Amino acid sequence: MASASSISVGDSKRFSASNFPSNLRHSQTARPSSPQTPQHQLRSNNSSFASTSSGSSFRSEEDAIIFELGSRWLRAGFEGESTPMCTVGFGPEESRRTGDYRGWLNYGPSTECSVSPEEWANSYELWGMDLRKVDLGLVEDKIERVVRETYNKYLLTDAGTTRLVLVMPSLMPHPLLASVLSTLFNRWRFPSITLLPAAVMSATAAGVRSATVVDLGWAETTVTGVYEYRETAHKRSTRAMKHLLQETGRFLTQLTSSTRDPTTDELSVSFEYCEEVVTRFAWCKTHQETEPTDLPNTAISIPSPSNPGSEYIDVPFLKLAEPVEKALFAHGIPESDLDDEEKPLPLLLYNTLLALPPDARGICMSRIIFVGGGSHIPGIRQRILNEVNRLIKTHGWTQVRGKAVERQRTRLQELSLTPTPNPSTNTNPPSTAPSTGTTTPTQEPTATASHTPSIDDEGDNEIDFVEQKLQRNRDRDFKPPVQGILREVESLGPWAGASLVTSLKIRGMVEIEREKYLQHGLAGASRDLEHGYVPDRRSGLRTGGDRSSWTLAGWG
Amino acid sequence: MSRPFPYTYISCPCADTPVPDPARKRRSREFPQKANPDAPGTDEKGTITEDEEEEQTFDPRSPRSNFSLYPPEQLLYCEDCHQIKCPRCITEEIVCWYCPNCLFETPSSMVRSEGNRCARNCFNCPICTAPLSVSTLENVTGNGSQQGPWVLSCGYCMWTTLDIGIKFDKPTNIRTQLSKMADSTSRGRQMSRSLGDLKSPLSNYASVDEQFSATEDGGPDQPTEPLGADARFAALKGFYRNQIAETSTSPNDPLGTDFAGGFASPGALNRIMSLYNSSSRLSSLYNKKPKSKPPVMREALTASEGLKIPVPGAEDAVVRRMASDECGWDGVASIEQRSFQPPDARFADDLLPLPVLLRTKRSKRCKSCKHILVKPEFKPQSTRFRIRLIALSYIPLATLRPLTISPPQPGYPTTAPTVPNLDSLPPLKPVQLLLTLKNHMFDPVRVTLATPSVTPGRVDTKVTILCPQLDVGANSDVWDEALQGTAPGEQRSSRSGAMGIGYEKVAEAGKVWDKGRNWTTVAIEVVPGTLPGSGRRASRANNDFNDSDNDDDDDSVDEKDLDWSGQSKDPNEKLQPDEDVLEIPIFVRMEWDSENQIEQPVSKSSDTVKRELAYWMVLGVGRISPDLEG
Repeated sequence: MASASSISVGDSKRFSASNFPSNLRHSQTARPSSPQTPQHQLRSNNSSFASTSSGSSFRSEEDAIIFELGSRWLRAGFEGESTPMCTVGFGPEESRRTGDYRGWLNYGPSTECSVSPEEWANSYELWGMDLRKVDLGLVEDKIERVVRETYNKYLLTDAGTTRLVLVMPSLMPHPLLASVLSTLFNRWRFPSITLLPAAVMSATAAGVRSATVVDLGWAETTVTGVYEYRETAHKRSTRAMKHLLQETGRFLTQLTSSTRDPTTDELSVSFEYCEEVVTRFAWCKTHQETEPTDLPNTAISIPSPSNPGSEYIDVPFLKLAEPVEKALFAHGIPESDLDDEEKPLPLLLYNTLLALPPDARGICMSRIIFVGGGSHIPGIRQRILNEVNRLIKTHGWTQVRGKAVERQRTRLQELSLTPTPNPSTNTNPPSTAPSTGTTTPTQEPTATASHTPSIDDEGDNEIDFVEQKLQRNRDRDFKPPVQGILREVESLGPWAGASLVTSLKIRGMVEIEREKYLQHGLAGASRDLEHGYVPDRRSGLRTGGDRSSWTLAGWG
Repeated sequence: MSRPFPYTYISCPCADTPVPDPARKRRSREFPQKANPDAPGTDEKGTITEDEEEEQTFDPRSPRSNFSLYPPEQLLYCEDCHQIKCPRCITEEIVCWYCPNCLFETPSSMVRSEGNRCARNCFNCPICTAPLSVSTLENVTGNGSQQGPWVLSCGYCMWTTLDIGIKFDKPTNIRTQLSKMADSTSRGRQMSRSLGDLKSPLSNYASVDEQFSATEDGGPDQPTEPLGADARFAALKGFYRNQIAETSTSPNDPLGTDFAGGFASPGALNRIMSLYNSSSRLSSLYNKKPKSKPPVMREALTASEGLKIPVPGAEDAVVRRMASDECGWDGVASIEQRSFQPPDARFADDLLPLPVLLRTKRSKRCKSCKHILVKPEFKPQSTRFRIRLIALSYIPLATLRPLTISPPQPGYPTTAPTVPNLDSLPPLKPVQLLLTLKNHMFDPVRVTLATPSVTPGRVDTKVTILCPQLDVGANSDVWDEALQGTAPGEQRSSRSGAMGIGYEKVAEAGKVWDKGRNWTTVAIEVVPGTLPGSGRRASRANNDFNDSDNDDDDDSVDEKDLDWSGQSKDPNEKLQPDEDVLEIPIFVRMEWDSENQIEQPVSKSSDTVKRELAYWMVLGVGRISPDLEG
């Protein structure tokens, strides 16, 4: 009993004190709308006979353009397609002057100068989240160029005539968001821009309504708990691909020059080469302790870091897993030494699940989605899940650690082993949400019990008449949702999710119209978060025109 | 350095007007006493002279300048706005779509359905991006018949579709054949790989049905047949469609769903038709179960609905394959190779030949006045333009060349005039350059040049334009010049200047170096500064060299203990890439009287209008050599 109450207190405190803004929850609702007779994929017949303004009334029929904007890549394509048309980066090659063709001339070893790891990676990202160091004008320039070239090279439609859907991380600094929107609205004539949160879109593209989305992104790994299409918990860590690339850069720099002073933290290998190595050969052991025995101690021949054009060196294959261990799993660093923002990924995922309310946790933990560039590293998903499983086994779902707690727990366990006349005292630990746990009364306790043997018990065999009634009223063919076990679900990615959502004509919460934005900018957004929550009784036949104000929802 | 020295870049004036952020505007309206620091110093049309002090000099080194500098030949000119137009301040409309490989035009209705790629036989090699050609297998083996199976082969890297086990039945319509088998083959290959039974890659994939049966046979231990990304997407879409239809056809809220979308579906129409059929039924509907909850959308549960639960051991197989000997570095696809492939392509064998991306011909309009600037011919084969207003016919073409002087030092051979090596300019040695402005307009132009006396950045190069104000003649008929009978002295001088025999001539301040019919040359004197890493000697020499204008920078440089080995630990002393390139920002302001083409009823008195145009130009002179001996 004592343990149960302490757990619940810890849970609720944890939940209320977690650092996500409460308004994140209202980011996206999947508005059910009627099915559509498939429309013809009409492209605007905008031949040269037509002037710019002609046919603008038919534009709403046209497919929306979907951009997924991250700190390193822009993915662009049309709604209703499964993969983006193109993926464009923001590297230094892309920010050269027009008519500067040096990138084509000597595509080989770059200048032999060593730079600090931050600087090394900085020129490849569109923005950093530390806006003190970001030149917003430069960001606007880059966005303008990359969008223009994307339209001209890959999308091959007239820019700015159709609706734009932007898939963005749900936490964006407002100056950045304003920069992006101002650039797009001022440069082109987009009638409206819809913002969709990336995590929810990933869940949509996996076919689930609730999920834990682990985004192994560039600057940060974010873990977002999505429950019924709402973001409910959110944690982030700096252990992400940038860290991994820098770690690999260090590893490769050491390979080039063993004589180099190990104290200097400077990288002398080129970024492109390093990224190439990571995307090709970075891998991850699926278990921390065991050396993979089936892998022979092979060596992989990779281009030499000092001269990638012509020479090859042999690197033991096992070595290539080390940067991943170091960068993403904080191998060799005790947990107590880690700062809050650099938790290793399994701990981050565990903490996010812990921050969820227990019933949401049960649903979300069996729908774990890995997206982002890091999720392509072979073995990493299995590894994270294994470690989270281990964490759950050792600690259960409690925040409280330490010897005193252990002692108390064992004492409680001894107590519970003795037959108790009143089983209600030691029912499920999630006593904070008693009503919601009733969806699958038979499955959840067993599932939880299998993972938290120390705090759970086996009683629950008593027959509850309310549950019986619920059971009877339920549909015969209703399958109970899988919950309580760790399970991975594969997603097609946020871009595909947005494409799916847009093609189903589901409207996002954040739809920014051109005129309104140009009048007031982001400041014109309504702060009323419940706004737009009453679209059920909309009158009139037009769906779009009746929104008098707009909101930033989760981005507000 | 972006092009061979010397070069010219022009900064489009649109860079001076920042993207207006409405929120910022509102903020400044709320606090009107606070001056907006981001406000542009000038309007677009000039009036620079008044607040020239406030305006920042253009820094060609700032990272933003890379986005506003254009080679002069890439700029356009709007005759209505009288302004230079760069790709950022125009809007574009597509005139036609065509394949750059076969030059066939694709009708606009087909472009999207073909995925913006050529639907014919144009393919690029997935390994090296060279164009692929269709060839027959029988020819390869020496059999003369043309009926054999066909493959795509790369002439550059010798890759063929046989490497990924694809053969074609017909030499035509390769794209449709490929797309038909692409999904199934990739699926089959992955399956067979993961199972370890490597079928012969030459096994016939031509019949899709057989392939399907093969995959089904092959995977008894896999619970679900993995779908490709496309198929999964389609499955998910169908699933969501069904769910939306099921959940929204609850009869008790006929007005609940979106009406705009509602009419499109037969179910919704049915609902609307029966809305007013019998009011009693409607009311009974409302009264009977007012609180009944609409059915909730569920999540995808099976693979046919798009759910994909990854197989636990799949990643181990990938790792093992990566470590295996036959994979190697080139066995894994690079980032570039992967970029247009299906998202789960990891190994080089997963790559499919890529149909060539289409290209477009676009007409361009001025963004502010919609005046058309460029209009190409419609036919893809034609390279002509109907309208093309390029900026070079309106602004003077600036060309730079070093003044060839034979230096008086005895150490150099005096027979030939030495041309300064622009790729390694010795620091602190003055170089004279000739800037020629050639006018393409039919009106004479008055040009004022201005430059900061010391270039921005850490390398302080002193620049002096010896004659900052000059006139450039009109681009009149060549005969006019002959008929006008200009002074013979001037003729000679122009000829001598053109022939480059200038070393008896000395550049004088305030005087034009040379002048012709529609061109004028002025001299610029440049003293390249020393590079940050190039040592104490440099700074001392700098002080010795021109102690008259020994400014604060030199002192500060001197005070610091410079490590002149170039291996300095201090990152500030390290040379940034391209910091040694000597680029001179020059502000060009031109004035001319043009004939008033647009009839203006107000100013009937004079038929000429005074126009002016101002922009920043960047002259790339050369690269400063790090050592003083040069």
